[in-house]
Amino acid sequence: MNISIGQYVPGESIFHRSDPRTKLTMTFAYMVIVLLINNFVGYAIAMFFLILAIVSSRVGIRMVLRSLRPIVFLIIFTVILNIFLYQGETLLLSIGFIDIYKEGILFSIQMILRILLLVAGASLLTYTTTSIMLTDGLERIMSPLSVIGFPAHDIAMMISIALRFIPTFAEETERIMRAQASRGADFDSKKLREKIRSFIPVLVPLFIGAFRRATDLATAMEARCYRGGKNRTRYRVLQFSKADIVLTSFFIVFGVLVILSRIFF
Amino acid sequence: MNREKRIFDTQSIVLCALFAALSTIGAYIKIPISYVPITMQLTFTTLAGLLLGSCKGAISVSIYIIAGLIGLPVFTNGGGFGYVLQPTFGYILGFVAGAFVAGLIVGKRKEVSYSRYLLASFGSIAACYTLGTIYFHIIMNLYLGNNMSLWKILMLCVIPFIPGDVIMSLLASWVAKKIKYHLPL
Repeated sequence: MNISIGQYVPGESIFHRSDPRTKLTMTFAYMVIVLLINNFVGYAIAMFFLILAIVSSRVGIRMVLRSLRPIVFLIIFTVILNIFLYQGETLLLSIGFIDIYKEGILFSIQMILRILLLVAGASLLTYTTTSIMLTDGLERIMSPLSVIGFPAHDIAMMISIALRFIPTFAEETERIMRAQASRGADFDSKKLREKIRSFIPVLVPLFIGAFRRATDLATAMEARCYRGGKNRTRYRVLQFSKADIVLTSFFIVFGVLVILSRIFF
Repeated sequence: MNREKRIFDTQSIVLCALFAALSTIGAYIKIPISYVPITMQLTFTTLAGLLLGSCKGAISVSIYIIAGLIGLPVFTNGGGFGYVLQPTFGYILGFVAGAFVAGLIVGKRKEVSYSRYLLASFGSIAACYTLGTIYFHIIMNLYLGNNMSLWKILMLCVIPFIPGDVIMSLLASWVAKKIKYHLPL
């Protein structure tokens, strides 16, 4: 079992220095803006800004390309469906019952650009922000909602605890599976029934172990007087800096240009 | 003692968090059955509903999704906001509905029979499929511009997975029955 937790690339770039709240908000706004683009001028602008962002974040183009790997299948699938099924006006090629139209090809290219921009842009957030910062930022963004009773702190706390326990559980699962295999559990059995049954002695100890940890952890927290987010002070205090101003201004320019491209082209 | 009223007590916070962590692990335990390798993910999210109840179960799975969406690496192939636009994201959202439905069917009973757990697991699958298919349909038709009929989506995303998921429900119910009394609530 290979679980790589954290895709963070350490660095000192403007992206690394800016506040996670800024980055979370901008990632969300970026997605909305990219979805607004409806012509190639807009895509060119977005591409330019994305490349600018990738270069200035110094995470390396290879890392960004790696984030695109999982969506290759989606892209191919979309392109094939669009090219073959799109009904346009200018017929380019006709093989048997398949007609390929010029509009279909243009539409597919736009779709590829859109998916690429969205995924590559969103990946920058993960590459330049640690998990702790992301969780902290999320808590602060959601905290205004706590006025209406939304448990912002509790949710951030749950995410932090979950992240801390993922590697532990991964290790534990592996250990239990080895232990049961040494007692004769047959995970590679040809018989379906046997194969499924062999997982019961893995899941039961895994969950009971998890419950025990939950009790221990909750007791430890209460013993230290944990009582939710109220009046809790923090070790790391989030602060906006110059980097946030620079990043936000670039982003506003990007947004305005895209909207202009939508109006004029 | 003036204790303020909290929405979650510490115990529930920790339990929801641990089930969210387990959901992540579930995605990595693969069982190769016939042609479609199935993961334990649905088993684990269903178990969250069966054991924690409808609300806490759904919250625990939502935590997993929120963590994935803000870019924490808990989804099998990367995370981030971009994941929302993957057509299959609806099946992940469906886990929340699934956990909720499972918890609802189990209810607040002290004694739960195996058949009720099984019914709850099947309800969970049904909820997951329904939400997932609707989402897939919306993304495919509105965002990617492909016209896929409902039948095609079912053939692609639901029918190949039914046998595996049914087997996994049997497993989930069996495990739930065995460990119910160890739950620290």
